[in-house]
Amino acid sequence: MPKEIFVTGCGIVSALGAGKEATLTALRERRTGIAPVRYLKTAHTELPVGEVKMSNEEMMRALRIPEAAATTRTSLMGMLAAREALDHAQLRNKSGLRTALISGTTVGGMDKSEQYYLDFLENDTKNAYIATHDCGACTEMIADYFGVFSAVQTISTACSSAANAIMLGAMLIDSGRADAVVAGGCECITKFHLNGFNTLMILDRNLCKPFDAHRAGLNLGEGAAFLVLEAEDTLRRRSAAPLCRLAGYANTCDAYHQTASSPNGEGACLAMQAALRTANLRPKDVGYINAHGTGTENNDLCEGRAIQRAFGRCIPPVSSTKSFTGHTTSAAGGVEAVISLLALRHGFIPASLNFANPMPELAFTPATTDQPPTPLRHVLSNSFGFGGNETSLIFSTI
Amino acid sequence: MSTPNGIYLLAAKQISVQPPLTDEWMDAPIRYREPYVQAIDPDYKRYFAPNVARRLGKILKRAMLTARLVREASGVDNPDAIITGTGLGCIESTEAFLNALARGGEELLTPTHFMQSTHNTISSLIAIDAGCKGYNSTYAHKGISLECALADAFTQLECSRIQTALVGAHDEMTPTYFTLLKRTGYLGHAPGGFSGEVALSMMLAATRSKNALCRLRGVEMAYGPANSDAPRQALTRLLQRARCSPNEIDAVMTGLSGLPANDQVYARICPELLPNKNLLRYKHLFGEAYTAPGLGMYAAAVCLYRQRIPAHLFVDHKRGEQRGVGHILCYNQLEEKNHAFILLSPCGK
Repeated sequence: MPKEIFVTGCGIVSALGAGKEATLTALRERRTGIAPVRYLKTAHTELPVGEVKMSNEEMMRALRIPEAAATTRTSLMGMLAAREALDHAQLRNKSGLRTALISGTTVGGMDKSEQYYLDFLENDTKNAYIATHDCGACTEMIADYFGVFSAVQTISTACSSAANAIMLGAMLIDSGRADAVVAGGCECITKFHLNGFNTLMILDRNLCKPFDAHRAGLNLGEGAAFLVLEAEDTLRRRSAAPLCRLAGYANTCDAYHQTASSPNGEGACLAMQAALRTANLRPKDVGYINAHGTGTENNDLCEGRAIQRAFGRCIPPVSSTKSFTGHTTSAAGGVEAVISLLALRHGFIPASLNFANPMPELAFTPATTDQPPTPLRHVLSNSFGFGGNETSLIFSTI
Repeated sequence: MSTPNGIYLLAAKQISVQPPLTDEWMDAPIRYREPYVQAIDPDYKRYFAPNVARRLGKILKRAMLTARLVREASGVDNPDAIITGTGLGCIESTEAFLNALARGGEELLTPTHFMQSTHNTISSLIAIDAGCKGYNSTYAHKGISLECALADAFTQLECSRIQTALVGAHDEMTPTYFTLLKRTGYLGHAPGGFSGEVALSMMLAATRSKNALCRLRGVEMAYGPANSDAPRQALTRLLQRARCSPNEIDAVMTGLSGLPANDQVYARICPELLPNKNLLRYKHLFGEAYTAPGLGMYAAAVCLYRQRIPAHLFVDHKRGEQRGVGHILCYNQLEEKNHAFILLSPCGK
């Protein structure tokens, strides 16, 4: 019998702002964070993006990091989100607990690498940023900022990275390998993947329209989000108050194509079904699905079909909050876990923005009203990545 | 948690700077003096259609082939989980896209290198090739990437969430990235700490097969500042969980590489943590790479299977070959921040 996994804290930074309050306000006021490019130095100014509205220097000041320190945007956002999560769970100080940090990222320190790559090759002036390039370096910068972690791991499964980090956190606690886990992910927008997605022709020149018949691609976003996970015995030992439970989790592989989903969303359907099984729930128990919902032709069709297959006649309200944050890639599983948790705690359905035309292939349309038909008890969040990496998480009230 | 049946390493296949897909390094290792050595690739035309070989980068070809051969050798065609450790991922494709971006700007880029640049391209490719729809994950955490992947598999096998797992360690090195990592001090100048490449696929299972290489008793990792108690705590946890006394450890497979900054840490920690143990090494044959510890584990597993440790693996040059091998502990550290231990035993123990 697996242990119950409790969430005792969370932190978030995204285009909607820094922190849970700012996020909640923007979601309830239906105010998107997607806007013209402001911070990224790119030629593609025609592409709307979900940038965190802070410069690196502003983040460093907020974190009291000396100006001269070699940092990356991804790790700075990660520190802000992890700080909020640790404060929320009251775990900032040495607690005697075995606390692990598991972060998901794929671009890691690419923001500096793409800026200084020619220096790397030709001179010794930017060597500090060679060492911050890899994914693990990003997680260690976050860990070293706090100094409370006895284990650190980095997962890199593209756009499902943070969701897989949260799933791994649950498994570490379940197996007794950690008392508490700070799990999630972080990723800044880089020219590298903005251009990568652009060459794949999946970026919308306008605001993205998830689950709309005329959807034309995704808007790239950035951010970081972490949850604090604990088992019941740890919770009791330190008299902490849980926010919700991580009741179900599953990861599957579509095993179909490196960058496209199978037409019927086979892997996605299997992930949702397996998550329901681990949570011991039936489809009708789920009150809201926070979809992966990127707004691309391929994802929304395949995910929509997968939802229909997994939920049959009991499809709950579905929305994609990527219409608020943009697609925060490796951080998405964390960002959307926090949004799911806010929905659960505050009893509302985050809307899907920019929807107008139902998809003829699907029997459902995305949620546009924020009132749940019945009080929310279970929320399912999907995160899918390149290579058909499919993860579903289920959060439940206590 | 009890493991009634144990967890076994059924088979392992490697492509490295030693002869590919064989254990020839046991008796006739190739010695290198150059600081940068690329893996010896097998003739892929023997295994793949020409268009497949052309389409895939080096790291992907190596991963796909070792995965196929380990599935075949183990008789596990469709593993329940595919888990990869890679420090730098598909760095050749990443650099190609990065270079095009840095030199040519944002207008003339093509998607091929981008599509093959994400770290989890490796695990995905193996899953697509094998038709595996189960758990699929990728760890990219510097020098402990392989151990993270192994610990994930071990934990899930231990609680019977899965019965079989294909665990991989994959890192390629380009000439340019070698230059970069020399600047940071991670890779050495000749003769110490030469740079190698790693492609290793291993099949783990919760039940023993006739030809299983060895038993995997546990994996533990720790993170902490230099001179902390982190490695000792991790080792104690590992031995307690495995119900193994330190006296039972026959030999320690270390990450000694010839690079002074690296070797000094082992020279200090090993006598403290593991006094009077025979120290082994593998990086003098396989070179340095973030996932090189996978090859250390593989070398130890082959020694356990054949019940002998060749003389050239002993750090103490005066020792001859050892016949009969009990438990081998693999200890790997990076920059004295990350520490990882893997405990292996012969199948019967």
